[in-house]
Amino acid sequence: MVVGMKDAAKLIGISIISCCAVLVCALFMNYYLDILQIEDLLSTEQAVIFYHAQVSTAKVVCGVSGGCLLATSVVMLSFYIKHYIDTHKKELGILKALGYSNLRIAKNFWVFSTGVFLGTSVGFAGAFLLMPEFYERQNEEGLLPEIVVSFHPSLFVYLVALPTIAFAVLAVFYAALKLKRPVLLLLKNDFQSSSKIRRVKQGRDCPFLVDLRKHTLRTKKTLVFFIIFASFCFSAMTQMAASMNELASKMMGIMMLLIGVILACTTLFLAITTVIKGNTKTIAMMRVFGYSQKECCRALLGGYRPMSYIGFALGTVYQYALLRFTVDVIFKDMEGMPTYEFDFPVMFLSLAFFLVVYEIVMYCYAGQIKKISVKEIMLE
Amino acid sequence: MIEVKDVMKSYGNQDNKLPVLKGITAKIADGDFVVILGASGSGKSTFLNVVSGLEKPDSGSVRYDGRDITKLSDGELTGFRKDTVGFIFQQYYLLPNMTVEKNVRMGADLAGNSDYREIIKAVGLEGKLKKYPGELSGGEQQRVSIARALAKKPNVLFLDEPTGALDEETGRQVLAYISALQKERGFTMVMVTHNQNIAQMANTVIRMNSGKVMEVSTNETPMTAYEIGW
Repeated sequence: MVVGMKDAAKLIGISIISCCAVLVCALFMNYYLDILQIEDLLSTEQAVIFYHAQVSTAKVVCGVSGGCLLATSVVMLSFYIKHYIDTHKKELGILKALGYSNLRIAKNFWVFSTGVFLGTSVGFAGAFLLMPEFYERQNEEGLLPEIVVSFHPSLFVYLVALPTIAFAVLAVFYAALKLKRPVLLLLKNDFQSSSKIRRVKQGRDCPFLVDLRKHTLRTKKTLVFFIIFASFCFSAMTQMAASMNELASKMMGIMMLLIGVILACTTLFLAITTVIKGNTKTIAMMRVFGYSQKECCRALLGGYRPMSYIGFALGTVYQYALLRFTVDVIFKDMEGMPTYEFDFPVMFLSLAFFLVVYEIVMYCYAGQIKKISVKEIMLE
Repeated sequence: MIEVKDVMKSYGNQDNKLPVLKGITAKIADGDFVVILGASGSGKSTFLNVVSGLEKPDSGSVRYDGRDITKLSDGELTGFRKDTVGFIFQQYYLLPNMTVEKNVRMGADLAGNSDYREIIKAVGLEGKLKKYPGELSGGEQQRVSIARALAKKPNVLFLDEPTGALDEETGRQVLAYISALQKERGFTMVMVTHNQNIAQMANTVIRMNSGKVMEVSTNETPMTAYEIGW
């Protein structure tokens, strides 16, 4: 088998993201389907307004969170398959040279969807565990009649079965597309590969390390996206979690905080691991020449720091806009709705927490760079 | 002066140890051109790695002007490589997405060498500054790696089968460049090869077999790259 379960197990990032996406979507979609059944039982105008606000919230949360996380999962899967093909291209090249067709090799990539199945299943089950408490909190003031948690089989199909099948198909076809490279190109290593030259603007009098930093950023745009996404998630979710305590419930706040931190850390780890793995030989060569560990770290990872700040700023703006919209549009007719203002202390706290987490991750990876043997360069 | 004394090195674990260097002792004088000659598996590349500070031996010492590099920490070894040695490998290992100029700057910046274009000119690549490694022939790529190594002004240059991936004509051309630059700049040069003919270009030849030095000989009149057989 070209791709084994061990390789699929490395897709823990997609499992975690799909778990979070399905957890949030299952929670709100199930609530949406259950709340629809009580529409005829509403007796007061206040209850009708509250009902419509709840329906709108469910739709917005499913659309925004589910959509964002689904898009990220697709990008992450495509990225991982490309990365897998790049790092195993010699083996794949040998198979192609032996006469295996692209599709025959690509068929094995279906196993990558097992990570999605695992994540969505855990997320779905987790949502049902949280549902009784969630329903109670959503209707804490008793404005609506009692809402009973029901199991909707269609949700299992839409949130677990279909994504798994869709990701299996996506994995196979994306792999087939990526395997269209000529056999010889797959058999050559990165240092020998010459057919595809990434022409990156290089400053005439720019020092080598500065150019390397710019080059690492420009040639790995997907990783830039992941770093921005990670800090975006962290910023938006941690700040929103603090506001949720007042606007919704403590449970929602904790849920958002956990999802935000888990998503951010997973994405950050995935992105930085890929940067280092993708540059192992460059790092080894730099170490052979006498560049220090600090210089290697700065050149390869330093460029991502400003990107992470951009992500944090975007997350801050996003969470403010979303909450403003929720309060001013969705809940505008609700009585007793607390006012919402931008929370500067929370933002600074979140930023400080983010800086600490980011620097710890970078410190851990600096250790990884130190472990790369200078002999790595001679292991060809 | 490089003094190697009783160097032992083996790979594998306790149960399955494979001795590669079995008590090597050798001396390399400043400015010398030394060829380490041996068949595949004789331990010549491991010897080069140990002498250059890329690997630590299990026992023994490697002294550069009296300073034992086997006792240095990782950080100190990095500093030693930065200040003292340069490397040229069979597979060039140029950064594929950087131009010739930037690849050479990788070495030049370490030594604060702003005249790196001189060395690019010396290896005959002044017209290819903006080219990428993928746009160059094998010989040209090896010349870039020579320029990159020399741009950091090393005292000792280590070469691991530098012509191993080149055809005869290009190989001779590359050796001619290296040899001329060594004579002009006076650095010490240690080259590993299995090609007996190349040994005729060196001042000193260390023959290795099964992890041991079998013979050390000197050439009174070293040949040029175009005089040796291939």
